[in-house]
Amino acid sequence: MDPCEKCEELLQPFLDRDLNEEERAVAEEHLNLCAYCRKRYRFEADLRRFVRQAVTEEMPPDLKVKLSELRTPLL
Amino acid sequence: MGETAPETEARRLAEDARDRVRFEEEALDLADQVYRVARRMVSSREEAEDLMQETYARAFRSWRSFQPGTNLRAWLLRILTNLNIDRGRRVQRAPDTQPLEEGDYFLYNRLEEVNPSGTDEERVIERLSQDDAVTALSAVPHDFRDVIVLVDIGDFSYNEAAQILDIPVGTVMSRLHRGRRILKRELAEHAVADGASADGGSGA
Repeated sequence: MDPCEKCEELLQPFLDRDLNEEERAVAEEHLNLCAYCRKRYRFEADLRRFVRQAVTEEMPPDLKVKLSELRTPLL
Repeated sequence: MGETAPETEARRLAEDARDRVRFEEEALDLADQVYRVARRMVSSREEAEDLMQETYARAFRSWRSFQPGTNLRAWLLRILTNLNIDRGRRVQRAPDTQPLEEGDYFLYNRLEEVNPSGTDEERVIERLSQDDAVTALSAVPHDFRDVIVLVDIGDFSYNEAAQILDIPVGTVMSRLHRGRRILKRELAEHAVADGASADGGSGA
Protein backbone atom coordinates (compact mmCIF):
# COMPACT_ATOMS: atom_id res chain seq x y z
CA MET A 1 0.00 0.00 0.00
CA ASP A 2 1.19 3.50 -0.71
CA PRO A 3 1.42 6.23 1.89
CA CYS A 4 -1.62 8.46 2.02
CA GLU A 5 -1.18 12.23 2.17
CA LYS A 6 -4.54 12.75 3.80
CA CYS A 7 -3.52 10.51 6.63
CA GLU A 8 -0.36 12.45 7.42
CA GLU A 9 -2.41 15.62 7.65
CA LEU A 10 -5.28 14.34 9.78
CA LEU A 11 -3.79 11.66 11.94
CA GLN A 12 -1.96 13.68 14.55
CA PRO A 13 -4.75 16.07 15.56
CA PHE A 14 -7.25 13.22 15.31
CA LEU A 15 -5.26 11.08 17.74
CA ASP A 16 -4.77 14.06 20.03
CA ARG A 17 -8.51 14.82 19.95
CA ASP A 18 -7.67 18.31 18.80
CA LEU A 19 -10.07 18.50 15.83
CA ASN A 20 -13.38 20.33 15.83
CA GLU A 21 -16.57 18.37 15.11
CA GLU A 22 -16.47 19.03 11.41
CA GLU A 23 -12.82 18.08 11.03
CA ARG A 24 -13.34 14.97 13.08
CA ALA A 25 -16.19 13.90 10.85
CA VAL A 26 -13.92 14.30 7.82
CA ALA A 27 -11.19 12.27 9.53
CA GLU A 28 -13.60 9.52 10.54
CA GLU A 29 -15.10 9.33 7.10
CA HIS A 30 -11.64 9.07 5.62
CA LEU A 31 -10.65 6.32 8.07
CA ASN A 32 -13.76 4.38 7.06
CA LEU A 33 -12.79 4.54 3.42
CA CYS A 34 -9.02 4.11 3.56
CA ALA A 35 -7.67 0.76 4.77
CA TYR A 36 -4.12 2.05 4.72
CA CYS A 37 -4.91 4.90 7.10
CA ARG A 38 -7.05 2.69 9.30
CA LYS A 39 -4.22 0.25 9.81
CA ARG A 40 -1.76 3.04 10.55
CA TYR A 41 -4.18 4.80 12.81
CA ARG A 42 -4.58 1.69 14.93
CA PHE A 43 -0.84 1.26 15.05
CA GLU A 44 -0.29 4.87 16.13
CA ALA A 45 -2.98 4.69 18.80
CA ASP A 46 -1.54 1.42 20.16
CA LEU A 47 1.97 2.81 20.08
CA ARG A 48 1.01 5.92 22.04
CA ARG A 49 -0.77 3.85 24.62
CA PHE A 50 2.27 1.62 24.92
CA VAL A 51 4.76 4.49 25.24
CA ARG A 52 2.59 6.33 27.74
CA GLN A 53 2.27 3.27 29.92
CA ALA A 54 5.93 2.31 29.58
CA VAL A 55 7.37 5.70 30.54
CA THR A 56 4.98 6.62 33.34
CA GLU A 57 6.69 6.56 36.71
CA GLU A 58 4.81 7.27 39.91
CA MET A 59 5.91 9.82 42.47
CA PRO A 60 7.93 8.40 45.40
CA PRO A 61 5.72 8.61 48.52
CA ASP A 62 8.33 10.45 50.60
CA LEU A 63 8.39 13.27 48.05
CA LYS A 64 4.76 14.03 48.81
CA VAL A 65 5.70 14.43 52.46
CA LYS A 66 8.54 16.78 51.54
CA LEU A 67 6.20 18.86 49.39
CA SER A 68 3.66 19.08 52.21
CA GLU A 69 6.37 20.42 54.48
CA LEU A 70 6.94 23.33 52.09
CA ARG A 71 3.53 24.76 52.96
CA THR A 72 3.45 28.03 54.83
CA PRO A 73 3.12 27.21 58.55
CA LEU A 74 -0.14 28.33 60.13
CA LEU A 75 0.46 30.79 62.93
CA MET B 1 -22.76 49.63 63.53
CA GLY B 2 -19.92 48.52 61.24
CA GLU B 3 -16.87 46.58 62.21
CA THR B 4 -13.94 48.41 63.72
CA ALA B 5 -10.79 48.62 61.68
CA PRO B 6 -8.99 45.87 63.66
CA GLU B 7 -11.96 43.53 63.19
CA THR B 8 -11.96 44.13 59.44
CA GLU B 9 -8.25 43.46 59.34
CA ALA B 10 -8.60 40.27 61.37
CA ARG B 11 -11.33 39.04 59.07
CA ARG B 12 -9.22 39.81 56.02
CA LEU B 13 -6.28 37.89 57.44
CA ALA B 14 -8.45 34.90 58.27
CA GLU B 15 -9.90 34.82 54.76
CA ASP B 16 -6.45 35.15 53.29
CA ALA B 17 -5.15 32.21 55.36
CA ARG B 18 -8.14 30.12 54.37
CA ASP B 19 -7.60 30.83 50.66
CA ARG B 20 -3.93 30.02 50.99
CA VAL B 21 -4.54 26.70 52.73
CA ARG B 22 -7.07 25.74 50.09
CA PHE B 23 -4.65 26.63 47.34
CA GLU B 24 -1.90 24.56 48.96
CA GLU B 25 -4.17 21.54 49.32
CA GLU B 26 -5.30 21.73 45.71
CA ALA B 27 -1.71 22.04 44.51
CA LEU B 28 -0.62 19.05 46.61
CA ASP B 29 -3.50 16.97 45.27
CA LEU B 30 -2.06 17.49 41.78
CA ALA B 31 1.50 16.55 42.74
CA ASP B 32 1.25 12.97 41.42
CA GLN B 33 0.17 14.20 38.01
CA VAL B 34 2.76 16.97 37.92
CA TYR B 35 5.48 14.49 38.89
CA ARG B 36 4.69 12.12 36.01
CA VAL B 37 5.34 14.95 33.58
CA ALA B 38 8.35 16.30 35.49
CA ARG B 39 9.99 12.90 35.65
CA ARG B 40 10.18 12.67 31.86
CA MET B 41 11.39 16.22 31.39
CA VAL B 42 14.62 15.49 33.27
CA SER B 43 16.94 12.53 33.14
CA SER B 44 16.98 11.24 36.72
CA ARG B 45 14.60 10.72 39.59
CA GLU B 46 16.78 12.92 41.81
CA GLU B 47 16.50 15.80 39.36
CA ALA B 48 12.75 15.31 39.17
CA GLU B 49 12.47 15.41 42.96
CA ASP B 50 14.56 18.59 43.21
CA LEU B 51 12.56 20.24 40.48
CA MET B 52 9.28 19.31 42.15
CA GLN B 53 10.43 20.80 45.46
CA GLU B 54 11.59 24.01 43.83
CA THR B 55 8.33 24.22 41.90
CA TYR B 56 6.15 23.75 44.97
CA ALA B 57 8.25 26.14 47.05
CA ARG B 58 7.79 28.80 44.39
CA ALA B 59 4.11 28.02 43.89
CA PHE B 60 3.40 28.32 47.62
CA ARG B 61 5.28 31.63 47.75
CA SER B 62 3.48 33.14 44.78
CA TRP B 63 0.06 31.57 45.27
CA ARG B 64 -1.62 34.97 44.98
CA SER B 65 -0.67 35.23 41.34
CA PHE B 66 -2.74 32.13 40.51
CA GLN B 67 -6.14 33.10 39.16
CA PRO B 68 -8.82 30.91 40.78
CA GLY B 69 -10.89 29.08 38.21
CA THR B 70 -8.01 28.65 35.77
CA ASN B 71 -6.04 25.45 35.26
CA LEU B 72 -3.88 24.93 38.35
CA ARG B 73 -2.07 21.90 36.92
CA ALA B 74 -1.02 23.95 33.88
CA TRP B 75 0.02 26.82 36.17
CA LEU B 76 2.24 24.49 38.21
CA LEU B 77 3.80 23.03 35.10
CA ARG B 78 4.47 26.48 33.74
CA ILE B 79 6.51 27.21 36.89
CA LEU B 80 8.22 23.84 36.63
CA THR B 81 9.11 24.29 32.98
CA ASN B 82 10.52 27.76 33.57
CA LEU B 83 12.59 26.55 36.52
CA ASN B 84 13.88 23.65 34.46
CA ILE B 85 15.03 26.02 31.73
CA ASP B 86 16.36 28.69 34.13
CA ARG B 87 18.43 26.27 36.12
CA GLY B 88 20.27 25.21 33.02
CA ARG B 89 19.44 21.65 33.84
CA ARG B 90 18.86 20.98 30.22
CA VAL B 91 22.01 19.37 29.05
CA GLN B 92 21.06 20.11 25.51
CA ARG B 93 22.07 17.60 22.94
CA ALA B 94 23.21 18.70 19.54
CA PRO B 95 20.21 19.82 17.52
CA ASP B 96 18.58 17.00 15.71
CA THR B 97 19.80 17.28 12.18
CA GLN B 98 19.13 13.82 10.90
CA PRO B 99 16.64 13.82 8.06
CA LEU B 100 13.26 12.37 8.80
CA GLU B 101 11.96 11.96 5.29
CA GLU B 102 10.73 8.51 6.06
CA GLY B 103 7.52 10.01 7.38
CA ASP B 104 5.19 8.89 10.09
CA TYR B 105 5.20 5.24 9.20
CA PHE B 106 8.89 4.71 9.40
CA LEU B 107 8.68 2.70 12.60
CA TYR B 108 5.78 0.68 11.35
CA ASN B 109 7.58 -0.06 8.12
CA ARG B 110 10.80 -0.99 9.88
CA LEU B 111 9.01 -3.31 12.26
CA GLU B 112 7.27 -4.92 9.33
CA GLU B 113 10.60 -5.40 7.59
CA VAL B 114 12.10 -7.03 10.66
CA ASN B 115 9.20 -9.33 11.12
CA PRO B 116 7.31 -9.59 7.83
CA SER B 117 5.10 -12.40 9.07
CA GLY B 118 3.87 -10.50 12.11
CA THR B 119 2.21 -7.61 10.39
CA ASP B 120 -0.64 -7.11 12.76
CA GLU B 121 -0.23 -4.00 14.82
CA GLU B 122 -0.30 -5.44 18.29
CA ARG B 123 2.36 -8.03 17.58
CA VAL B 124 4.59 -5.37 16.12
CA ILE B 125 4.40 -3.30 19.30
CA GLU B 126 4.95 -6.37 21.46
CA ARG B 127 8.52 -6.39 20.18
CA LEU B 128 9.23 -3.22 22.15
CA SER B 129 10.18 -3.33 25.83
CA GLN B 130 9.51 -0.76 28.53
CA ASP B 131 13.22 0.09 28.56
CA ASP B 132 13.11 0.66 24.81
CA ALA B 133 10.40 3.27 25.34
CA VAL B 134 12.20 5.05 28.21
CA THR B 135 15.53 5.12 26.35
CA ALA B 136 13.93 6.24 23.10
CA LEU B 137 12.01 9.07 24.77
CA SER B 138 15.09 10.33 26.61
CA ALA B 139 16.95 10.43 23.30
CA VAL B 140 14.45 12.94 21.91
CA PRO B 141 15.89 16.50 22.22
CA HIS B 142 14.32 18.57 25.02
CA ASP B 143 12.33 21.02 22.95
CA PHE B 144 10.53 18.18 21.24
CA ARG B 145 10.34 15.93 24.25
CA ASP B 146 8.71 18.55 26.49
CA VAL B 147 5.81 18.84 24.06
CA ILE B 148 5.38 15.07 23.74
CA VAL B 149 5.46 14.68 27.52
CA LEU B 150 2.89 17.44 28.10
CA VAL B 151 0.47 16.18 25.47
CA ASP B 152 0.93 12.40 25.70
CA ILE B 153 1.63 11.92 29.40
CA GLY B 154 0.15 15.11 30.85
CA ASP B 155 -2.97 15.00 28.63
CA PHE B 156 -2.73 18.72 27.92
CA SER B 157 -4.34 20.18 24.81
CA TYR B 158 -2.22 21.89 22.17
CA ASN B 159 -3.38 25.24 23.57
CA GLU B 160 -2.45 24.40 27.14
CA ALA B 161 0.95 23.06 26.09
CA ALA B 162 1.51 26.30 24.16
CA GLN B 163 0.73 28.37 27.26
CA ILE B 164 2.90 26.26 29.53
CA LEU B 165 5.89 26.46 27.21
CA ASP B 166 5.12 30.02 26.07
CA ILE B 167 5.31 29.12 22.40
CA PRO B 168 2.72 29.43 19.61
CA VAL B 169 0.23 26.59 19.08
CA GLY B 170 1.64 26.03 15.60
CA THR B 171 5.04 25.41 17.16
CA VAL B 172 3.51 22.89 19.56
CA MET B 173 2.05 21.00 16.62
CA SER B 174 5.20 21.04 14.54
CA ARG B 175 7.38 20.00 17.50
CA LEU B 176 4.98 17.21 18.34
CA HIS B 177 5.04 16.01 14.79
CA ARG B 178 8.79 16.07 14.50
CA GLY B 179 9.33 14.84 18.05
CA ARG B 180 7.15 11.82 17.49
CA ARG B 181 9.02 11.00 14.33
CA ILE B 182 12.29 11.18 16.24
CA LEU B 183 10.80 8.98 18.95
CA LYS B 184 9.72 6.43 16.39
CA ARG B 185 13.10 6.46 14.74
CA GLU B 186 14.70 5.76 18.12
CA LEU B 187 12.20 3.01 18.84
CA ALA B 188 12.82 1.50 15.42
CA GLU B 189 16.53 1.31 16.13
CA HIS B 190 15.88 -0.60 19.34
CA ALA B 191 13.29 -2.83 17.78
CA VAL B 192 15.53 -3.65 14.85
CA ALA B 193 18.50 -4.28 17.16
CA ASP B 194 16.36 -6.52 19.39
CA GLY B 195 14.99 -8.29 16.33
CA ALA B 196 18.47 -8.88 14.92
CA SER B 197 19.75 -10.36 18.17
CA ALA B 198 16.66 -12.53 18.53
CA ASP B 199 17.12 -13.78 14.97
CA GLY B 200 20.81 -14.40 15.69
CA GLY B 201 19.89 -16.47 18.71
CA SER B 202 17.42 -18.69 16.93
CA GLY B 203 19.14 -18.70 13.55
CA ALA B 204 21.26 -21.23 11.54
